Amino acid sequence: MSIKVRDITKKFGRFTALEQVSLDINDGQLVALLGPSGCGKTTLLRIIAGLEFPDCGSIQFDGRDITDQTARERQVGFVFQHYALFRHLTVFENVAFGLRVRPRAARSNDSEIRAKVKELLALIQLENQAQRYPSQLSGGQRQRVALARALAVQPKVLLLDEPFGALDAKVRLELRRWLRRLHDEVHITSVFVTHDQEEALEVADRVAVMNRGQIEQVGSPDEVYDSPATPFVFDFLGSVNIFHGRVESAGVEAGTVKLSGPGHEHAFSRTQIATYVRPHELEIKRERNGDSSSVPATVVQVHKVGPLVRVELRGEDTKDIIRAEISRAVFQELALQPGDRVFVKALTERRFESDSPR
Amino acid sequence: MTFTLKQKSILPGFGLTLGFTVFYLSVIVLIPLAALFLKTSELSWHQFWHLVASPRALASYRLTFGASLIAALINLVCGVLVAWVVVRYKFPARGFFDSIVDLPFALPTAVAGISLTTLYAPNGWLGAPLMRLGVRAAYTPIGVTIALTFIGLPFVVRTVQPVLEDLDKELEEAAASLGAGRWRTFTRVLLPTILPAAITGFAMAFGRGVGEYGSVIFIAGNMPMHTEITSLLIVTKLQEFDYAGATAIAVAMLIVSFIFLLTINLLQVWSGRPRKASPADDEMIPRIDLRPAFGTQEAK
Repeated sequence: MSIKVRDITKKFGRFTALEQVSLDINDGQLVALLGPSGCGKTTLLRIIAGLEFPDCGSIQFDGRDITDQTARERQVGFVFQHYALFRHLTVFENVAFGLRVRPRAARSNDSEIRAKVKELLALIQLENQAQRYPSQLSGGQRQRVALARALAVQPKVLLLDEPFGALDAKVRLELRRWLRRLHDEVHITSVFVTHDQEEALEVADRVAVMNRGQIEQVGSPDEVYDSPATPFVFDFLGSVNIFHGRVESAGVEAGTVKLSGPGHEHAFSRTQIATYVRPHELEIKRERNGDSSSVPATVVQVHKVGPLVRVELRGEDTKDIIRAEISRAVFQELALQPGDRVFVKALTERRFESDSPR
Repeated sequence: MTFTLKQKSILPGFGLTLGFTVFYLSVIVLIPLAALFLKTSELSWHQFWHLVASPRALASYRLTFGASLIAALINLVCGVLVAWVVVRYKFPARGFFDSIVDLPFALPTAVAGISLTTLYAPNGWLGAPLMRLGVRAAYTPIGVTIALTFIGLPFVVRTVQPVLEDLDKELEEAAASLGAGRWRTFTRVLLPTILPAAITGFAMAFGRGVGEYGSVIFIAGNMPMHTEITSLLIVTKLQEFDYAGATAIAVAMLIVSFIFLLTINLLQVWSGRPRKASPADDEMIPRIDLRPAFGTQEAK
């Protein structure tokens, strides 16, 4: 089932949650809506589900306009962040709920329902917990029950609202990989909302990055990570060093770090430029070796985080803090100490015109 | 396992608070009740039975418990409805509605009784139209039921209201997305959630109805065998200085009420079964391995 979102606008009072949002989701894809809280991603998901209705714009499933249909008519599976399991029903009855509330004509008989639920419980590996109540399960188990409950009605689309948001880090990691494998098996068109860029990049086929009620970029995880369309996407998909500067005639001169690389020749003279470099794309050297694109800096602090070492430096020209990430091996080779004078070079970088000088 | 009364706890003052609780409950509840039984024991078993099972007493039990039960049932349905409207919808007079629910609590029962009698009397505002329909409200068991319904209204509303307010909107959305219509969502999701609270409110309304005196005696008419409630019968006995007789009937009433409330409590335990969360289970992090689920078919 493909989903087409066309020019959706939604306001809550005076707050604009979504403005002219359009998005295409192909059949069988797993798409992540990624953005900071308040960016409208959950509202968009709820509009696709029919739990919220847009002020204007339309939603199409397989080319059919379903904007005015209710959640019940749309036959979507929805998984809530806080599970929304029925507390008074057992795990088994929770999963069976959607099958039992069907109109009499369309309802399967009891033994068919039992077989279907058993199959789903096997899928989520909770066969032994069938007679327990949701309050007796862990968070990860509850979310799997919620997922099975949504899948029981064989929805055409599966929508997940921050499905792993309430879980602790380890369960989160396992469950999201499990979701990916599940999707590879079931191939149901799925959309999930998350504010965790790692989650989106790892699990999704396509990522839609949202900010302030609009979609900034849609693309495969590699596309949005490697070639972010806007400064926001760059910033949101990982930590970043931002260097501000101004194009004088050719090349960024008056500014902070003189960095190498093409991409600025077309820039107008005197345009404000912000250069974005990810911490792991910075190289630290003891000697300059005549490389004019390196800038001198002083090591301020060193944090060892597992296999990585985060080095905080201060640029000598501008006194700005520069954050670099190097591997432990490189760190040991350089034997960096706070106070050391080194040279920093950007291996890759991206520039955006910035509207306002700092 | 050995049981010790004194257990280590970070909450201080267990001994003091327990002592006070026992003392308080003794003075307020247990000693008066014990005195009741003591006074009754002046009677022989035969005398006791003769008093308690006299036709006049039996008629009063039927009226008291019957009318209380009907009133509590009416309140169960209407109270849930009122709570639902007040919680779920936003409308101009909402705060006003919300506050008049408490009126039966605050109003002196005698005032309520007189107002209701005036209204439902054969020539009253509501009584006259009812008479034309052939229904005589005041001075009949119907009047008693009306008074008890009035008195019991706040109980169900006030017990159900907080549960409805806490109700997660997502539960209804989940039910809707699973294909349940409004009616099925209500009967299968909402009703089971509010049922324990509603039963509590029902039990409280019933208990209040059984013990009610002030608001009923005016509208009842108090004809022995017909519209005489048990409380009034007891008062009548007291006025005749038949203290043993009064306590005997009180004891009978106490026992019936006790059995009734016990039944309701058991019902509640049964309906509220799966509520206890065990936090230890949250620590159980499952290892997720898909292989047995899909993957290799020959494993089956």
